[in-house]
Amino acid sequence: MSKRITVDPVTRIEGHLRVDVEVDGGHVKNAWSSGQMFRGIEEILKGRDPRDAWLFTQRFCGVCTTVHAITSVRTVENALDIAVPMNAQYIRNLIVGAHAMHDHIVHFYHLSALDWVDVVSALKADPAKTSALAESLSPWPHNGTAVLKGVQDRLKGFVEAGQLGIFANGYWGHPAMKLPPEVNLLAVSHYLQALDAQRNINKVVALLGSKTPNIQNLAVGGVANAINLDNEATLNMSKLYFVKEALDEAQKFIEQVYFPDVCAIGALYADWLPYGAGVKNYMAVPDFPLDEKGTKFDLPGGTIMGGDLGSVKEIKAFGDPYFKENVTESIAHAWYDGDWQKHPYDEETVPKYGKWEDDGKYSWVKAPRFQGKPMQVGPLAQVLVGFALKHEPTVKWAVKTLETIGAVAKTKVGPEILHSTLGRHAARMIRTCMIAEITQKHWKLLVENIGKGDTEIFRKPEFPSGEQRGFGFHEAPRGALSHWIVIRDGKIANYQAVVPSTWNAGPRDGKGQVGPYEASLIGNPVADAERPLEVLRTIHSFDPCLACAIHTLDVEGNEIARVRLA
Amino acid sequence: MGERSPDEEAEVRVLGLGNVLMGDDAAGPWVVEHLRAEYEIGPGASLTDVGTPGLDLVPFIGGARVVILVDTVKSKGEAGELRFYRRDEILRYPPGPRTSPHDPGVKETLLYLEMAGSGPEEVLLVGIVPGRVEKGLFLTPAVAAAIPEAAEAVAVELRRLGIPALRRPGSAPARPWWAGEEGTAP
Repeated sequence: MSKRITVDPVTRIEGHLRVDVEVDGGHVKNAWSSGQMFRGIEEILKGRDPRDAWLFTQRFCGVCTTVHAITSVRTVENALDIAVPMNAQYIRNLIVGAHAMHDHIVHFYHLSALDWVDVVSALKADPAKTSALAESLSPWPHNGTAVLKGVQDRLKGFVEAGQLGIFANGYWGHPAMKLPPEVNLLAVSHYLQALDAQRNINKVVALLGSKTPNIQNLAVGGVANAINLDNEATLNMSKLYFVKEALDEAQKFIEQVYFPDVCAIGALYADWLPYGAGVKNYMAVPDFPLDEKGTKFDLPGGTIMGGDLGSVKEIKAFGDPYFKENVTESIAHAWYDGDWQKHPYDEETVPKYGKWEDDGKYSWVKAPRFQGKPMQVGPLAQVLVGFALKHEPTVKWAVKTLETIGAVAKTKVGPEILHSTLGRHAARMIRTCMIAEITQKHWKLLVENIGKGDTEIFRKPEFPSGEQRGFGFHEAPRGALSHWIVIRDGKIANYQAVVPSTWNAGPRDGKGQVGPYEASLIGNPVADAERPLEVLRTIHSFDPCLACAIHTLDVEGNEIARVRLA
Repeated sequence: MGERSPDEEAEVRVLGLGNVLMGDDAAGPWVVEHLRAEYEIGPGASLTDVGTPGLDLVPFIGGARVVILVDTVKSKGEAGELRFYRRDEILRYPPGPRTSPHDPGVKETLLYLEMAGSGPEEVLLVGIVPGRVEKGLFLTPAVAAAIPEAAEAVAVELRRLGIPALRRPGSAPARPWWAGEEGTAP
């Protein structure tokens, strides 16, 4: 007899991501991923000045603010076919790099670590043994016995007071939790240290972006960070060194804490490596441009079909027709009027809410397709594309990761293990290590460029009459993000954002092809249907981003995700 | 541009939460704009429109002595009613399992920071019951009418903490960038 499980968070007035799975014999047999909220925020942009679009798009989502701002200015610049000064590229790159490091650290430690780490078990750990284990894995100076004992004591205080606080709803004691107490204690300690790492790297975004979480320094045509090394009020050497210090500190945390933690969890959960692959068509877009027009990049983009790394095809530049011509969105199973599959320039968003139908419409999320196929996007796509293209930093970090996992697990593992739930975590960490190096490089490029006497930051855009179309992309923390614009006589006639979580969380399409979330859940084990930890593990590994649009705090009720069994 | 963002250094931080593109969800940011436009606030306090940062609230709350949050709240009351909560009331119910980093992160952030030893000593949540929360740049009349009252509640709290917070006579009303020419009118 199969069992239906619905995971439906009810934290808001309107819902957001809902996942339904059918479980039979301890495994997921079928799955549906549904966005429970109509967005359509793009409508607000129609008729506005394209130069203001980024201010609005960065409010699409409260976490991904920077990424929608950057993508929007790139989109308008593409429509006008303009290049931006190198200082602007470097400053933008530093902001998106710092944002990505921040975002990936938060995702691993504060969103998903508790899927794998049993907090209560940490109470049983021996702090001295934990410290010895940590020191065998990393030179990080904050893994001493005294630090770990302090964390354990504080945790003990929480538990004895009967309030587990932040951990109260963790699935501790779940049969799928497998880490030894010492590893759990180490992870809890790093979970707390990650809060400082998060605050540290945020300073880069705050200083260069003038403000967080919503940056203020962008402009179509460049940035608004005046550069004058002799002026206290502008970007000068003391501010640049402040940025450098924060980047150094972030890199240390990423390489000495995040890297070994992910490798250890991957190795100790080796039995989970076969699960969660799902859709093995991957797509990433290139990012960290190295020239004014965006034709050379520090992170490569491209597509891989059917899990075959040999099929890799590169996306080479901003405006690449290979990307432009192959993206469509399907509404066959989404609550919009019709059942079309259209290019983003030609879409119209007409909501038509109906009830949930397993074989009909069941989501507010459209189903994006590339050459008609569902694509998985995100750090895993980016790492696999880089690996397939023999991109040197990707190969270096991927090999180092696989070797470390193999050493801890005492077995040899190859890149094929990356097609999995844990592989998405490993790839996100690999990408973070690369970005820590790339931001250092772009800091140096910026300083050298200013040193040569170049202080140009902005070129005024001109809007011709008539119609222009353009698109911009950004490899955001959650994957390939693209915005599409139609400008008519200097005003926005159409605007569409195809966000990474739409690629991953989208429903079935007109041909019945399931989306990446859905595909990745099918075959997952579920030990306890009342506590579907394994479903959350796989969904969390994608770093979902659907609940972006509203925020209403529920203080008077119990803010808890509802798990329903039917 | 300062060496550090002053928003992240002040002892007392007023944070407006909510999405400015989603109707009444913008109430928190509106209160921040109202305070900026119509009040003279002494040193030691900062005002920030933080949007909907979910778990990214950590840098904004971490290191503060007092945090005053302004947000829409789910409550049985009428649209535009104010509700006040202190730390223990906010944390009476534990946060639920998350599916995404975007779920409101107030409870988690307070608990994380407490556990890490850098949580605020005092927290006040000025809650506003929303009417219509859907795509749109305007507040409903009931919520628009509650903005000055919520702003004054923040000012009262600031004064209690010894921070000057007085209405500036004859100041022009707030006109946030997102609301265009029409202000709060529908």
